[in-house]
Amino acid sequence: MRLSPAFDPATHQGRLPSPCISHCVMAQDSGLCAGCQRTIDEIVAWGGASEADRRSIWQAILLRRRDAAESP
Amino acid sequence: MAQSHLLPPTMRVFERGWLSSNNILFITPHATALVDSGYCTHAAQTVALVAHALDGQRLDRLINTHLHSDHCGGNAALQAAHDCRTTIPANEAAAVRDWDADALSFAATGQQCPRFGFTDTLQAGDALQLGDLSWQVLGAPGHDPHALVLYCEEARLLISSDALWENGFGVIFPELDGASGFTETRATLELIAGLDIGLVIPGHGAPFVDVRGALARARSRIDYLAADPVRNAQNAVKVLLKFLLLERQQIPLAQVPQLLSGIRLFREANRRFLHLPEAALAAWAVAQLRRVGAAQSDGIMLNNAD
Repeated sequence: MRLSPAFDPATHQGRLPSPCISHCVMAQDSGLCAGCQRTIDEIVAWGGASEADRRSIWQAILLRRRDAAESP
Repeated sequence: MAQSHLLPPTMRVFERGWLSSNNILFITPHATALVDSGYCTHAAQTVALVAHALDGQRLDRLINTHLHSDHCGGNAALQAAHDCRTTIPANEAAAVRDWDADALSFAATGQQCPRFGFTDTLQAGDALQLGDLSWQVLGAPGHDPHALVLYCEEARLLISSDALWENGFGVIFPELDGASGFTETRATLELIAGLDIGLVIPGHGAPFVDVRGALARARSRIDYLAADPVRNAQNAVKVLLKFLLLERQQIPLAQVPQLLSGIRLFREANRRFLHLPEAALAAWAVAQLRRVGAAQSDGIMLNNAD
């Protein structure tokens, strides 16, 4: 899901949304999904994860997106 | 709140997006099974998710709730990886055996699905053992005339596929072709309302516990659609375009009318209900997706958005 700039997994109220954006292809180089920037392990874990685990996954995604945006 | 604590330990739900249906994996030491396989462009990831969760076990069985491309598009890849027993709705057996493009939904919706075979069939009234739990197979026509849902009384679980989502249900495709679908959709909702359910695992979106709320929204939606079939046709046209956009991520705006005109159900929806020049209907669909933020455009490309 593409998020409003205000989205913050640390303070989000209610159920955290799935990060899936329906572009479900694993990138060979990074080992991350090209759509949501999750590892296979994180995608598999999502359905059985607690809200705390989901928050951690979201925070990892946002860090990866920021790193990707900053790399040349 | 996450509803994961309500899932039995033998069940895993892969919550996918809207192009691929959710996949539900059952794992016991002696048997594994997957319900629905997602869309074909995501098949490699589906195979990887299943392999990761199975951790060396083989997938014994694949089951489809119905044969739309977003629920069975990974069948061929999973069969290639696991040579798994494959179970489809009984009413689709002849169409799959002959790979009859006119009887299967893929060509009519402009969607892709690699050819697959099957080993056995399911119909309403059948019983299944999945994840050491007993499941009843129930008929759930409406969205698709041959659709099935799976109900586990002992664990109070419903695998509802596209018959009931947290907010609504799948497009009622039969009505676009002049067949009946509204009546069947209502009957399916009433069937679900009669079940004791603690958790619904839908075909798309997160599992949810508020079954009464979901049924109330679904009943309101079917009332709205059935009151004027033009609404169902309009919704279908928007969904067909959104599916193309999810599949391709971006489409040149100039190609949208031609792509939609190539889809039989787009033409049928227009011929029976909407009565617009095809280019005008395509422009309307683009405007509708942009209005709700499901698409963005710079005037040259139409880009997927959520």
